[in-house]
Amino acid sequence: MDLKIKVEEREASLFTFILTPIIAFLFAFLVGGILMEWAGVSPVDGYSAFLGGAFGSPRKLADTLVRMVPFLLMGVGIALSNRGNVLNIGAEGQFIMGAIAATWISMLLQDFTPWPIITVLAFLLSLGAGGIWGGIAGYLKAKMGINEVVTTVMMNWLAFKLLQWLLRGPLKNPESEMWPMSPHIKAKMPIVIPGTRLHLGFIISILIAYLTYYLLFKTNMGFKLRACGKNPFSAKYAGYNVENMIILSMIISGGLAGLAGSIEVMGVHHFLYEGISVGLGYTAIIVSLVGKDHPLAIIPSSFIFGAIYNGVVYLQATTGLSYTFSKALEGMIYIFVLISELLARYRIRIG
Amino acid sequence: MRNIIKRFPGVVANDDVSIEVYPGEVLALLGENGAGKTTLMNILYGLYKPDSGEIIVSGKQVSFRSPRDAILNGIGMVHQHFMLIDDFTVVENIILGLSEFGIIIDFKTAIRRIEEISRKFGLQVDPYRKIWQLSAGEKQRVEIVKALFRNAKILILDEPTSVLTPQESEALFKTLRKFVEAGMAVIFITHKLQEVMAVADRIVVLRKGKVVGRLRREEATIPQLARMMVGREVLFKLEKKPVTPGKKALEVKGLWVMGDKGVPAVKDVSLQLRCGEILGIAGIAGNGQKELVEAIYGLRSPIKGTIKIFGYDMVRGTVRDRILRGISLIPEERIRIGIIPDFSTAENLVLEQVDFEPFSKPILGSIKKIDFEKINRYAEKLIKEFNIVTPSPSTRAANLSGGNIQRLILARELSRGSDLIIAEEPTAGLDVGATEYIRKLLLEARSNGKAVLLVSGELSEVLSLSDKVVVMYEGEIVGGFKPDTLSLEDVGLLMAGAKRMSREEVAKLWT
Repeated sequence: MDLKIKVEEREASLFTFILTPIIAFLFAFLVGGILMEWAGVSPVDGYSAFLGGAFGSPRKLADTLVRMVPFLLMGVGIALSNRGNVLNIGAEGQFIMGAIAATWISMLLQDFTPWPIITVLAFLLSLGAGGIWGGIAGYLKAKMGINEVVTTVMMNWLAFKLLQWLLRGPLKNPESEMWPMSPHIKAKMPIVIPGTRLHLGFIISILIAYLTYYLLFKTNMGFKLRACGKNPFSAKYAGYNVENMIILSMIISGGLAGLAGSIEVMGVHHFLYEGISVGLGYTAIIVSLVGKDHPLAIIPSSFIFGAIYNGVVYLQATTGLSYTFSKALEGMIYIFVLISELLARYRIRIG
Repeated sequence: MRNIIKRFPGVVANDDVSIEVYPGEVLALLGENGAGKTTLMNILYGLYKPDSGEIIVSGKQVSFRSPRDAILNGIGMVHQHFMLIDDFTVVENIILGLSEFGIIIDFKTAIRRIEEISRKFGLQVDPYRKIWQLSAGEKQRVEIVKALFRNAKILILDEPTSVLTPQESEALFKTLRKFVEAGMAVIFITHKLQEVMAVADRIVVLRKGKVVGRLRREEATIPQLARMMVGREVLFKLEKKPVTPGKKALEVKGLWVMGDKGVPAVKDVSLQLRCGEILGIAGIAGNGQKELVEAIYGLRSPIKGTIKIFGYDMVRGTVRDRILRGISLIPEERIRIGIIPDFSTAENLVLEQVDFEPFSKPILGSIKKIDFEKINRYAEKLIKEFNIVTPSPSTRAANLSGGNIQRLILARELSRGSDLIIAEEPTAGLDVGATEYIRKLLLEARSNGKAVLLVSGELSEVLSLSDKVVVMYEGEIVGGFKPDTLSLEDVGLLMAGAKRMSREEVAKLWT
């Protein structure tokens, strides 16, 4: 018997591109509802808790917008490197490096420097830290042909282990005996809507999404970067420096993830701890996928993922479903999104 | 094989081809690159399905769905590029895919049979070595043993000597004679005339997908084969105005360039080209022309030698430096290198110029804002001027036909003010109309005082367009002459490596 599975790329319309993630979410919620029923919670209660957690009040909506910030910044960075055909799986590590940089500069200067200055310095430093972390992987790919997926994943672990050590050493809060964490930092993101947690980082991230869009589609740099991504042979023939483009795209991508890390520390937690990023950088890959690597489409995409993230937390808190259940629901959404993307982009024939 | 027809998009690779081969003979399939030899053999080996025609093996009509079917019918093929797994040993590669060795592999029996085969035919292989440790010649022997291990009665060899040293080639020919004595049939694909004369019993000559000659070796002479292989085509009358050559555009001296196989592909090449001149490089594809062009354009760095472009030393320069000095390249691999298929026609038309005024304006450092309006207007102008058939400038280049993609590339390369134009196989695979148009454009460039370096495997094209012609064979320049001063037969002999002119004779061309 000859059973063959053929996978062909196809051109999908804008309509299918918008429709596919919606169908994916519906499917995930359907299966999630069945699981909830099984776990003894009414799906109606579950999902009203979920939606309430994400959009239930102005305050909760603001929290969703806050949650969307790291997804947006990292998603846009990942989109940019994807356009250059460099796959950055390392946003997680670059995010951590940015968070470390912001905490460190703040601890160093906060006793004698006003916070706005530290905040600006933290911005620049976190851009640099993330940029270097990403740039190393870019350099290794460009000059030695080492696969960036492998190096970025490895460097995620390196960054995480560095974080663990710093929190027990140089950046340790001497008052905290139980949990490894840094002291409170004074550098912060000003709140833009009083009474909520919505901070300046939100506006900055929207601005950066627009700037990235402009860079990618309106400037010669973006043109060349996309050309190198689409066809490195003709890019080389047209006189572009393909190697430098690979490195540059990883520096920008890493820099934006680093910035996300510092905004997270300064805007949300105000101290550094081990759980500063539990997989935010990996989720951002899916955020960018749903946004079709288009910086402006990643704005709604990151909003949806911010809502899912917060909704799941609230679901767990109000219904008594376990943490693992809420994580399973989250994971299911991701899997359905991935499958639907595949079905939208490729035609699969059996026989 | 009877009346085989195989079409690919835009070309007929095999046009009603019939060949037969009998046990106990070596059949040589002779032809230029692109003549359809390999396609024909890939059909016999089950890699392609013919559009029509039939294959008969040992009196029985067969239809192969995959090489597996071909192997079961006693057909073996050794490809030009080896199909071996580098990290596996010789014996592992040979038995790969054979079910008779079961899940727990019986290496002993396998090795015994391999040793039997190598003794019988004088094919030295060490079953325990890994493929990556072997030389090209050894790998080829492994491929042959692999075919024999599968009881091949008909053995196809695709350009087997291209990776061999002369001594290895000699040894291979001896082995082939042993196969024939043992009652096997051998099909030998080549474009080298001496090899045909050395090893073949019968010869079939292919040109442009058609059989143009069938003869026994005893009846054949090298000049006759050369003429058949190269052919002559009635060219449309092209108007070639007399032009007085201007300043030196390109000067290459003693250039050596490494090829992809790890041996020099360009050996000690020197040439000169002046403005208002077309210099043709003739030769069968794969004799170093591609590497020479890549070195001149900066895509491949030479081992030694000098390249001067408009008097500037450019050996170490980048592609970008050369573009700024005014060189254009019309690449042979149109779709892979010439365009970005996912970009629009307009964007493809400004690939090299997107950084320059008026198409972009600086905003911050080297970041410039692209003026898409200007690009579109420029594209519309070129589309009209060069008759590119496209629905609009924003149509993806991938949606254009082959001929229009070539027009797009020519429009781009001829319109950006370059004075040195390198055209690599500019008309290969195009229909008559597009071919004629593109030749006319090249002649026009010449009349406008531009220097044109024309690389083409099609001899009639080189001879009718060029002011001077050099012939490349195995990386060297083996001849240089003005068109019409040499007979077609002599040119064919130069191309096939059967004859060469002295350095002094070639050097006369530059004075």
